[in-house]
Amino acid sequence: MGKGKPFLEVLSSAIHEDYRFPFLELFAFLYTLGTFALANFTVGVFSRVGTNEAVAYAVTNSLITGSLIVFIILVFKNVAYGLGSELEKGIIQTYFSYPLKRWAILTAKLLSGIGVSLLLFLGIQISAFYILAPDIVLPQFSTIVLTYAANLSYPLIISGVILLLTLQLRRGGIGLVVGIVLYFAMSIASSIAFVVAQATDSALGLQIISVISPTYALQYHYGGLAGASSSLWYPTLSDTMLYVGGSYVIVAALFILGYIYFSRRLNL
Amino acid sequence: MSLIVAEDLRKRYGVVVAVDGLNLRLDEGSVTGLIGPNGAGKTTTIKMILGLLKPDRGVVKVFGQDPWDNPDIRSMTGIVYEKAFFPSHQKTLDYLQRVCRIYGVSESRAMEVLEAVNLQEASNREIRALSAGMLQKFAIAHALVHKPKLIVADEMTANLDPQARSELLDLVLELNKDAKVAFLLSSHILPELSMVCDSVAIINRGKVWASGELSDLYDKYAVGIIRVTTDSPEKLAAEVKKLNYVKGVESDVRGFSVTVVDGREDEIYEDVPRLAKRVKAKLLGIETGSASLQELYRLAVSGREGK
Repeated sequence: MGKGKPFLEVLSSAIHEDYRFPFLELFAFLYTLGTFALANFTVGVFSRVGTNEAVAYAVTNSLITGSLIVFIILVFKNVAYGLGSELEKGIIQTYFSYPLKRWAILTAKLLSGIGVSLLLFLGIQISAFYILAPDIVLPQFSTIVLTYAANLSYPLIISGVILLLTLQLRRGGIGLVVGIVLYFAMSIASSIAFVVAQATDSALGLQIISVISPTYALQYHYGGLAGASSSLWYPTLSDTMLYVGGSYVIVAALFILGYIYFSRRLNL
Repeated sequence: MSLIVAEDLRKRYGVVVAVDGLNLRLDEGSVTGLIGPNGAGKTTTIKMILGLLKPDRGVVKVFGQDPWDNPDIRSMTGIVYEKAFFPSHQKTLDYLQRVCRIYGVSESRAMEVLEAVNLQEASNREIRALSAGMLQKFAIAHALVHKPKLIVADEMTANLDPQARSELLDLVLELNKDAKVAFLLSSHILPELSMVCDSVAIINRGKVWASGELSDLYDKYAVGIIRVTTDSPEKLAAEVKKLNYVKGVESDVRGFSVTVVDGREDEIYEDVPRLAKRVKAKLLGIETGSASLQELYRLAVSGREGK
């Protein structure tokens, strides 16, 4: 018996299941459609926003907003439905019969469920963005990266919550529902925080939700979108980066908890 | 050398104690049957042996190592779960070739194991399109890919037709004889286990009630059992049951087994022919101590001798 490649084979098997026809084709098409359709629209509109950084932020943010829901649907499907049904049916038990550590099995599942999806999302978006507006992408690359990082942290936090629920309950249904609720709850929470901030002249609510969803901090840093007032709160770029960093600490904590549970506690 | 050693295992689910102080040992080259009623703790025991469940107490060693999250053990162990599930959208041969690459064995082994379980005609079929019986055969093929030294199987023959069961039992005997593969087989179908097992562990209420080589267990528990074969088992068994020294009668299509009070075995040899003549039953044979595994199991569980 030679040396096998258990990790790569389990990863390949997971990708085969998560992106079987027509999921990969459908989602790639939706990303492309969303990106190009919105890019054509936004580049013209936001070129009048202000500084180059602000333009880069505004265009990137608008691009992401159009396709982020597609990314979220795909990740939620893979984490909740994919991993959940494999736990429920016993496919994970089959993976546990291979000479592979538990953490490696979870890594293969997460790379397939989230990593490939992220690669697809970023690959299509940034390529399209570069084709359509190379004069924005190259000079403002750091702003673009920060905007992506800020926008993706909240969906990743929700994915971490879904992962923990799915592992604990060994099924994905409840995790999926909680994920969807959390996603829409943030919009409501941000609106409430905005109203409270205006009424009390305190940005505390906005600061709190920015820890979980730093896209709000970034939005206020660039003066808000569509004329939203920036007098309520003006976080500096350093503050904004701290919010982004803080949110990724939460993401990391949730996934580390998932790994610990999967490796040490998960009884099947 | 012992491949599996379980000592004082305990596992509870909430208030239900599934396994309580269980001890088990499986030696190299042995075929051991794990038998017991539903809820006895067989599957929980197997899951702890496979490292899927952590025992609340006690120690389990497989190949001398803790099975929890231990890839080394899995390279030497084949596993057949009671309910087998695989990534369903992959073709059987493709998936087994993937398993070959996982273990680093030649991909040609995939077709060999499919042929071993008579599933070669389904090699191009998606796993989700297999019937329950075919899926069970596929699970067995899957367990054989890496030529394991130990196979742990929970209800391995479930869902199989009689022909497939017979072929599978032959395969177990062949692997045990030729490749010295050890088996731990859990099953409800005791006649099948008696065909392949050289030892058994009888589990009830989370404990091993009796274990050891079959011959030793028969010597211990099958004392006072007389097997009667006749063309009219029901009529004759009804008469035999009336004898005051008979403790129990178990009928089947070819005869019945009589359990008698210790020391009165000889009397049954006089009474059964007399009663057969009375009810006009043709007596085909009377043998002492030839209990089936089913009877052995019943005796051990009821604690007739060993309580």
